[in-house]
Amino acid sequence: MQQRRTIDQIHTNRVLLNGQLDTPKWWAPTVITLGIIVAIGFFLIGIMVNKGLGVTGLSRPVYWGLFITTFVFWVGISHAGIMISAILRLSQAEWRRPVTRAAELLTVFSLLTALMFPLMHAGRPWRIIYYIVPYDFARGIMPNVRSPLIWDPVAISTYLTGSTLFLYIALLPDLGNLRDRTTGWQKAFYTILALGWRGNPRQWKLQTVGGILLSALMLPIFVSVHSIVSWDFAVTPAVEGWHSTIFAPYFVIGAVHSGVSAVVTMMALMRWLWKWEDFIRPEHFDALARLLIVVATGWLAFTFLELIFAVYGLDAPEIELRDMQIFQWPWNLLFVVFVFTGYIIPVGMWLQKSVRNNIALMFWSSLFVNIGMWLERFMIIVPGLARKTPFVYTWEAYRPSGLEWFILFWSLAWVTFLMLLFSRFFPLVPLFEQKESQTFGDSIKIGRARVPAIVREAD
Amino acid sequence: MTLQREKRDYSWGMVVDVDKCTGCQACVLACQAENNVPLNLQDRFERARAMQWIRVERYWEGEFPDIKARFIPIMCQHCENAPCEPVCPVFATYHNNEGLNVQVYNRCVGTRYCANGCPYIVRFFNYWEPVWPEAFRNHLNPDVTVRSRGIMEKCSFCVQRIRRGVRNAERDGRKVQDGEIQTACTQACPTDALVFGNFNDKDSRVSKMKDDDRHYTLLPHLATDPNVVYLAQIDTDRSAGSSHG
Amino acid sequence: MASEVIHTAGAHAEAHEEGHHELPARVDPDVALSELVATTEANGSAVRTWAWILGILSLVGIVSFGVKVGIEWGDQAKWGYTAAIVAFLFSAFGGAPLVAIAPMIAKANWVRPVARFAQLCSLVSIVISIWMIPLILNLPMLIVDGARRRSIWFEGPDVSPHIWAVVALTTLIISSVGLIWAYGMPDFAVMRDHGTGWKQRFGNWAARGWIGSTVQWRTMRMRIGMMGTLYFFTFVFIHFMLSTDFAMSLVPGWRDAIFPMYHAISSIQAGLAVTVIGIWAARKYLGLEKYLHLDQFWSIGRLMFAFTLLWGYFFISAFIVFWYGRSGSDQMWIDFLILGPYFWVFIGAVLLIWFTPWWWLIWNKVRRSYNGTAIGAGLILAGVFLDRVRLYVAAWSVPEERIHERFLTEYPGTVYPDVMDILIMVGAVAASVLLVILATRVLPILSVWDVQQFNLLYRPVDYMKTKVSLIGKPD
Repeated sequence: MQQRRTIDQIHTNRVLLNGQLDTPKWWAPTVITLGIIVAIGFFLIGIMVNKGLGVTGLSRPVYWGLFITTFVFWVGISHAGIMISAILRLSQAEWRRPVTRAAELLTVFSLLTALMFPLMHAGRPWRIIYYIVPYDFARGIMPNVRSPLIWDPVAISTYLTGSTLFLYIALLPDLGNLRDRTTGWQKAFYTILALGWRGNPRQWKLQTVGGILLSALMLPIFVSVHSIVSWDFAVTPAVEGWHSTIFAPYFVIGAVHSGVSAVVTMMALMRWLWKWEDFIRPEHFDALARLLIVVATGWLAFTFLELIFAVYGLDAPEIELRDMQIFQWPWNLLFVVFVFTGYIIPVGMWLQKSVRNNIALMFWSSLFVNIGMWLERFMIIVPGLARKTPFVYTWEAYRPSGLEWFILFWSLAWVTFLMLLFSRFFPLVPLFEQKESQTFGDSIKIGRARVPAIVREAD
Repeated sequence: MTLQREKRDYSWGMVVDVDKCTGCQACVLACQAENNVPLNLQDRFERARAMQWIRVERYWEGEFPDIKARFIPIMCQHCENAPCEPVCPVFATYHNNEGLNVQVYNRCVGTRYCANGCPYIVRFFNYWEPVWPEAFRNHLNPDVTVRSRGIMEKCSFCVQRIRRGVRNAERDGRKVQDGEIQTACTQACPTDALVFGNFNDKDSRVSKMKDDDRHYTLLPHLATDPNVVYLAQIDTDRSAGSSHG
Repeated sequence: MASEVIHTAGAHAEAHEEGHHELPARVDPDVALSELVATTEANGSAVRTWAWILGILSLVGIVSFGVKVGIEWGDQAKWGYTAAIVAFLFSAFGGAPLVAIAPMIAKANWVRPVARFAQLCSLVSIVISIWMIPLILNLPMLIVDGARRRSIWFEGPDVSPHIWAVVALTTLIISSVGLIWAYGMPDFAVMRDHGTGWKQRFGNWAARGWIGSTVQWRTMRMRIGMMGTLYFFTFVFIHFMLSTDFAMSLVPGWRDAIFPMYHAISSIQAGLAVTVIGIWAARKYLGLEKYLHLDQFWSIGRLMFAFTLLWGYFFISAFIVFWYGRSGSDQMWIDFLILGPYFWVFIGAVLLIWFTPWWWLIWNKVRRSYNGTAIGAGLILAGVFLDRVRLYVAAWSVPEERIHERFLTEYPGTVYPDVMDILIMVGAVAASVLLVILATRVLPILSVWDVQQFNLLYRPVDYMKTKVSLIGKPD
């Protein structure tokens, strides 16, 4: 927004459609490499389902470990999409435009990935059908709606459905665009997907209304998803570190922190890989970094409250748990890494204007945030279980097995793989949003100065 | 809906006199044999995956030479207000009308959420398919299901014995008499520290014992309302009795 | 392609619209200047009458305050209603300046006419500090009966809560005066140049030689930023301190990590409501229709709606954990603070803070009307008051000797306000309103410079078939 740049629409079309019409050379080798990692990951999951969860490092009472951490992590990442495209849309922040699609995409794929973790982590995944489909009406055995584990799939699948619709609706104008620029099977493919998009006023109106309605409807879902995930933990009075009233908003704001950072990571990659310097600009990074400073500081306040009120009760087991979490090896190291990567390093960096406008530094700082946020979840889930209740006799530590680590790594590769696959067929930067922002930008002359201005519809 | 305690025919429960417990582990062994609990080999203990439906916790008190060993047997407390029950997504664990917290192996999908909810840590997950040495094949109790991998299990108050006892009584058209049903652990306990019975029967041994001055329950601040009542240990050589929990 | 884009703009407009309303006209700078300066004199007699009424009410409040100190000193349960009104005033008036600070940081144009009033509300911290004195003095020490009670100060000195309350109050007063002053400098200069009598002299002193040079503007922005940040952090801290020291830690077993946040959220909600009512009154009684448009009401109404929902969310976050947890202290929270002695107060609070405003403000027509938004604001204020009564009166009624229990098992009965309590509460509100009214005699209720900027940066323009506004975003 700092300087108004005019980019003509032909240039926009040519550059932003390069993924589909002019696939870069690195694309195929990268996708194949990732595909191999993904295949190995699926194979290992198969082994785990076949042999049993003994192959993990889980024990008693650390019944939940790295998988649930990673599940929470991916659900957290999924909060990027709605944060960027719905909240910023409703609050009319202009700089959201080039990243909306990528953020929504991240939402969809990370939710898909997140859903797989509780499934593979169950003792008998094949019986999960009990979960999802109400069955056996004759004996009156329905899924137990009192269980947060029933709320979870309901919330996540609603969120997934909504996000997919949202993504699709925003994709329609670009699909029409692609249809007009391709031939052969590709044309047929895009023709079907474009649902007869011609860009007439009625279609634009429907598309806009649909987008705004979905934004508003998705907001409560956005909040509820991570709240429900947090209630998986918070409703359990037996685990000292979990039973905290702050968990729902704490998880949500942490999710926004990690999700928006993941979007920054992705924007940097998109800018480098597809050479979209004209469209993903330093000012977009700058705006996201400013937003992130606010979010991260809010999140830090929640972290602080969580810790204060954990110790507030002065219950011996709770103190013991916090002692392990913060002062005992190796958790003390993790704690320091968590505090530094989750807040101190990135926010310290973002406070400098030079960093906010430096894409490489933004890339690294956003990676730090996600390391920190993953650790945050890990440090909530595992020590709580390992130091459960005053029965010292059952206190245990937990060391994830190599297989668990690989599956964590697999999930990263899997999401990247899906993203790249998507990028081959659909543009990652919405063309129509880009053009709309060109039209909405203007300037006002005040005295001798020209002030950048923005068009707002009448209220 | 589960019936209130008073309205039930039977309300099974146990009283554990910690004062009498010598920590001999006979109950643990009896339970293992009765309920087809897989063998706890060394690596199970090393990886903290051992299964003991009843365990004897041992705590040291004081400094050598003035040191005392404290024992406390802990099994499923069969809480009336059980934290493990509402969290199960598939109703694999619920409260039945005789006050038991029962586990339905067939329904369990192994989310292990109940185990996280349990403050007494008495729920066990089958990380592997259980295996017994060839010689043990014919030692398994035919009344008890052998649990497969991937599901939760826990103390059932020897529900197979309860069922048999109730069935016999119903056949004879009477109520179960006190002492008629014994769980494996109470039967094996050499010092009679564990007593099983019906809390709804005013004259039963457990009903009388649970009103003892020494009675307490584990983790009472969680308001789980357990059906296992402990009687505190009294030290004659110390002014204050010490009890855990 | 070009036509696509333009259609989008049209569709945007239509999607939002039910009834088109006219874009506000820009106001001539000279007219704005003279009209806004005139508001400091406007309605002289009416304002004087009101000032007398409010002044007498506050005096009655202070007198009954003195009487109460005389008879009921040291009886903790008797001071619950004073705590409630202090917490309420903090929430309502203390939260208002955030309405100015946050959108200013986000460079929102609509906030400019509103910012001054919102900031003036923070002056109420001066009134609060008087009303806080008995509370601070009646608060139990950290060591009760030889043992340390639960508090956020852990191993701190015995009088930590008392000292920190004083520190927080002082910082709040300093930062609110600082914020008003930093933001008001150009307007003090306006009073200096266009006012008369003592106002002119005061403006001369307070403007510190303001001539509107570039350097001065830059310094001013920096000062506003600093003071705004300071105010924000003091605000956060004061809610943390108030909600824990003056409510939570008085009830054994109440461990509720979200409570400070919940307190702050409802405070911002009430602050928005106070702002709405203030500008509604300014519009109605000071004739400022030209400067306060639907845009302001609509924007604040939307925020108010968002915070209403947030209140519900924060409440549910705590409630579900206690309700599902069912441990002893969890049950205590529900039995004492919800179903217990203040059940009907709680019902009233939920209806007024959350349920009614939710279904009232969700209606776009309401948010697009001056009176509708103001009614919603009134409901919220009443609700926040009831909520504070529920929390603070309950907390203060717990006898000190039970403070060491793991959690409360028997609950004290309902405490009803006596005549003195009512007079004290009415007096506190009257004094707060009086203070704000008096402040608008010195500084125009709408900031002159910000209204001028609002007009400079805003252009109604024709855009194809529709009318849109063009809003400048200076860096």
